[in-house]
Amino acid sequence: MSAVAVFAPIVIASWPALGAAVASAATSLGFSLADQAFDSANQNQNTETTQRVDLEIPGSEVVLGTLGRDQRIRLVRDGVEATFARDARGRASVCVTGEGYSEEVLRQIGEELSGRMVQHYVLQKLKSELDARGMNLVEETVDENQAIRLRVRHWQN
Amino acid sequence: MNVREYEITIGPTGEVELHIDGIKGKGCLEVVKLFESLVGEVREVRHTSAFYEPDDDVVIRNEQHH
Repeated sequence: MSAVAVFAPIVIASWPALGAAVASAATSLGFSLADQAFDSANQNQNTETTQRVDLEIPGSEVVLGTLGRDQRIRLVRDGVEATFARDARGRASVCVTGEGYSEEVLRQIGEELSGRMVQHYVLQKLKSELDARGMNLVEETVDENQAIRLRVRHWQN
Repeated sequence: MNVREYEITIGPTGEVELHIDGIKGKGCLEVVKLFESLVGEVREVRHTSAFYEPDDDVVIRNEQHH
């Protein structure tokens, strides 16, 4: 072994790339995709008993492309609804609501979802970029802590 | 032909740990730079003993003059 390096992810991507990561993360956590909303009018109705938590995904930037400014992705699971969107500052954010859930629980769910989304985004990006550079993915596993391990070989002359 | 092997661990929050094997000397710094451009900010780099060995493309010639 020559070196060990640790990196903090920076997510700068267009909405379709992030959408793919959100969908992948949702599946891994048992969430289902609800409809994708294209206008801001399609939002959750807050009642007095529905808690709401808004979380910004650190180190993220959603690049505007040809898609609508207000596009969102809604996920649902066990009465919890999580909506990923691009906020006014261009960052990816997630809003988690759920009737009968405490703010703390919703925050934990939101943090787990957003973390998993970043994980899947990094995974997709690494796989595609390393393949483009002629590197071979030899093994891909998920460990007991839900970390994804890749073993990559690079032959050089 | 040389083979380089990388073991990449992507944590549940997206943090990446990269283990580089098969590269002697400072060549691994290029790999770290590559992953920095792909993933994000470098938080930490730990060099192993192989890092301090001569680079693969360095030729050491010993000559003795009498």
